[in-house]
Amino acid sequence: MRVAVVRFPGSNCDLDAVQAIRTVPGMKADLVWHEDPAISGYDAAVLPGGFSFGDYLRAGAIAARSPALRHVSRMADGGVPVLGICNGFQILVEAGLLPGALLKNTTLKFVCKWTNVRVENTNTPFTRAFKEGQILRVPIAHSEGRYYLPERDLRRLEDDGGVAFRYCDERGRAVESANPTGTLGNIAGVCNEMGNVVGLMPHPERATESILSPSGSSDGRHIFESLLRND
Amino acid sequence: MIRMISGELRLGLTPREIETVRKVLGREPNETEWAIIDAEWSEHSSYKSSKKMLKLLPTTGRRVLLGPGYDAGVVDVGNGYVITLHIESHNHPSAVDPYGGAATGIGGVLRDILSMGSRPVALLDMLRFGDVARSNHARWLFTNVVRGIADYGNCVGVPTVAGDVEFDESFERNCLVDVACVGLARKEKLILGESKNPGDVLVLIGGSTGRDGVGGASFASKNLTAGSETERSSVQVPAPFTKKLLIDAILEAAETGLIGGMKDLGGGGLSTALSELASKGGTGVDVELTKVRTRHNEMTPAEIMTSESQERMILVLAPHGSEPVLEILKKYDVPHDVIGRVTAAGSMKVRVDGKVVADLPVELVTGAPLIPWGSKKPNLAGRQAAARPADPKIASSLLALMSSPNIADRSWVYRQYDHEVGTRTVVKPGDGDASLLRMPNGRMLAVKADGNSKHSSLDPRSGGAGCVAEACRNVVAVGAEPIAMVDHLQFGDPSDPEVYWSFQESVEGIADYCSELGLPVVGGKVSFYNEDSSTKVAIKPSPIAMVVGLDDRMMRPMSWFAASGESIFAIGRTKPELGGSEYFESVLRYAGGSVPKADPAGDKRLYRAVLKLVKYGLAAAVHDCSKGGLAVALAEMCIPSAVGASIDLARVPADTPDPVDLLFSESHGRFVLSSRDRKGVEKILKASGVPYSMVGRTEGKMLQFSRGRRRLAAVGVGRLAKAWRDSLPEMMD
Amino acid sequence: MSKVGLFSVKVVVSNAEGASDPEGETIYRDLVSKSGFTQVKGIRSGKFLRISVEAPDAKTARELVAKMCDDLRIYNPAAHSLTVEV
Repeated sequence: MRVAVVRFPGSNCDLDAVQAIRTVPGMKADLVWHEDPAISGYDAAVLPGGFSFGDYLRAGAIAARSPALRHVSRMADGGVPVLGICNGFQILVEAGLLPGALLKNTTLKFVCKWTNVRVENTNTPFTRAFKEGQILRVPIAHSEGRYYLPERDLRRLEDDGGVAFRYCDERGRAVESANPTGTLGNIAGVCNEMGNVVGLMPHPERATESILSPSGSSDGRHIFESLLRND
Repeated sequence: MIRMISGELRLGLTPREIETVRKVLGREPNETEWAIIDAEWSEHSSYKSSKKMLKLLPTTGRRVLLGPGYDAGVVDVGNGYVITLHIESHNHPSAVDPYGGAATGIGGVLRDILSMGSRPVALLDMLRFGDVARSNHARWLFTNVVRGIADYGNCVGVPTVAGDVEFDESFERNCLVDVACVGLARKEKLILGESKNPGDVLVLIGGSTGRDGVGGASFASKNLTAGSETERSSVQVPAPFTKKLLIDAILEAAETGLIGGMKDLGGGGLSTALSELASKGGTGVDVELTKVRTRHNEMTPAEIMTSESQERMILVLAPHGSEPVLEILKKYDVPHDVIGRVTAAGSMKVRVDGKVVADLPVELVTGAPLIPWGSKKPNLAGRQAAARPADPKIASSLLALMSSPNIADRSWVYRQYDHEVGTRTVVKPGDGDASLLRMPNGRMLAVKADGNSKHSSLDPRSGGAGCVAEACRNVVAVGAEPIAMVDHLQFGDPSDPEVYWSFQESVEGIADYCSELGLPVVGGKVSFYNEDSSTKVAIKPSPIAMVVGLDDRMMRPMSWFAASGESIFAIGRTKPELGGSEYFESVLRYAGGSVPKADPAGDKRLYRAVLKLVKYGLAAAVHDCSKGGLAVALAEMCIPSAVGASIDLARVPADTPDPVDLLFSESHGRFVLSSRDRKGVEKILKASGVPYSMVGRTEGKMLQFSRGRRRLAAVGVGRLAKAWRDSLPEMMD
Repeated sequence: MSKVGLFSVKVVVSNAEGASDPEGETIYRDLVSKSGFTQVKGIRSGKFLRISVEAPDAKTARELVAKMCDDLRIYNPAAHSLTVEV
């Protein structure tokens, strides 16, 4: 399994993502510059976190018009797994590959902390290794992560299994007190209809080694390991 | 087009300095030359008021590869890896434009780390503001400084992992915004800020040159005035995205091994960068200003030479064979222009369209004469301690301390910073006394910075030593051995003999402590002229020390009680040292008394003993005692896991029987440690010769204090937690 | 008694004249220029506020908003420039 980690000007979790993927036996990861057409040749693409183009205009808005997204878009249409982490999620949304919008947190502040996230849909190439309802410990770090979709579209997204991850408490309840950003329905990540394009605000690449986790977990790793599972 | 005459010459030079320049040069310098000398002879760039004192600091050690004098100190951390350390402040710009000033302050310190060819891997922020509980202005500064740091640091992808915040009325209009940065590099990839080879070309890269920041070094070397708000030219616009590209481009270019020398453009702009490159390299420079990308039409040569526009660096490259470096700059869209070359002449030549507009000996530009300021011991009022109240009201005093902005939970600040990016942060802000970063050589690096202006204002010598001691304790508490430090010395106007006396005392205090402990000071910064723009009162003396420590064990204690049934030890002696304490300030509203004195010889034994306990896995939790004393340290250990503790004050090793001293004195050289193996701990402590005693156990949901059988006070951990956690958010949101 | 009307006052806060504007410059360089809009020669960004004010006339409305922006630090004169239009 060869994964392209797409590096945009201003990406800053690109090296972390490459390092995290490489800890999974059987997976290779390369950094690919956003103008490099080689992206198309990979088995999966990861758009990493950071501040592509400084997050100017809106987070992800400029990167969504970069050459990389033409390739990523074709890969997505062809069923190739595409994962957007944090800024990568914002880019996928701005590029129209995932529905909705990511607005400023209700606190209007950047927030960096470890959260509990519940897996809602195990039928994507990035969640196959989980059981439905499984709780992951993963950190967030962003100021524009409040997922938003108009009421009617949200209902359809929920009905179609488009919600991939939801913030929850330690017992797995998606309660308001476990919502760090005011995001709609505690949504932390979504997927497209085909399920091959997934975006999430938490950073699995920061949670792949137990030494990095305050609770000693390494849950983020399974997101990348899922890619090796066929169903 | 370059305008030749500006018509307004605002020099910060003294009449004596002006005379020196004329005498050495043997002629009247022109306007451009005056501007160059003015920038480089500013306090900010020349250290002319402090250099003599700084020589007292120990700067060498077995791990020190490069001490003060370069853009960053370099420390060997083993297996071919080095760390680089630098500290800066951006006080005056932040007082006028807190958002932009704080952000560009980070930009500056990052460039210093980058110019050594090292990757910036951690930022620390040490902030000082007025009374946020009462002052709107202090809250405005605090909010925007933190937002500026967050927006900039988060964007460039360097984690902000630690820091320190203190509030005092003396910072009401002159806030302090200090930033320290740690870099990481392979030893053989280090690059120095020097131009050794005549014939090499000088390449200016990064942002364009504008009027922003013209005279910034002089701005930082003057007192703030009421008119400073409109000194617009001195305010710089933060451009973190440009900086991120610069970081990526330079780190990739440094890998080629083709960069002969590198220097960031900070205070004093091109003038300072060029003269220091040449001075360090023993060469000269010859530059053509029409090659400099300018943002405005009609900038004068003086403005171009002293502009402090952000995100610029100078590379020294061989005239041939440097194409790979230029290719990398192109890939990242980083503008780059050859603006001149290195010469053998030892002079700094500046041209416009080939015509020389400035020609100065490098030695003159970098040779600002030192200023022998007078010094006078002030009458430090209130040496005697405050009258003690008959009933110390322990419970309510402790709750008041927990909610004091100087002690309260800092998560309002550090949650706004990305402290995880880079996936190196093993112990995160709030989870330990210091933060711990993993390094590629398999070892851990502990980092923390501290300062205490309340102690320093009453006794600057003890305050100076104390800030180093506190930072060392924090590093030791996470199981790391202190290996190096950088300091930042911040004072009022040095021409005031009493201010200068406090500076001298502080430096001597730091020097004595570090010499005895064997802790090298590998770099630092001095910032004078910090005084209130309207009252003209100087800030409290504010030395700050950032200490780094090395840890090669996987054994790491927590900083809080995790379970009931552990034995609690007080290690180190408590003395009646309530002077400048938080108890005096926030409970008794009194400033005075005799401040804590650090004992480096005793601390050396103490650190060794605590590190041994950690190494043998005997320490379940370790936390140092500092602001608020033993009582606050214990409360902070109870809060995270909501575990209570019962403490017998009669057992605390102390020179005083007074419960107020025992609870709230801020004596240095003390730790609280908990363990499940009482005998094991006692065995090691007994052999170490440090004062210690088992003072209680973890149990229940209350923090209880007794003296022998007499119960003194009990407070619910829930109440302590609420007071501590809600304080800053309630003030700020 | 003088008549009072409701005025819509537009406030734009942008980086001070002559200072750089990284946001506008990035949008211009990396989005607009690279997408082929070569006719566009520059972009400056800012923050826009529309403020409804009760005042006897437009001039008073404008002055009130300008003073409010000063008093409440809606912009920082050290770093920004302000335009107020009715």
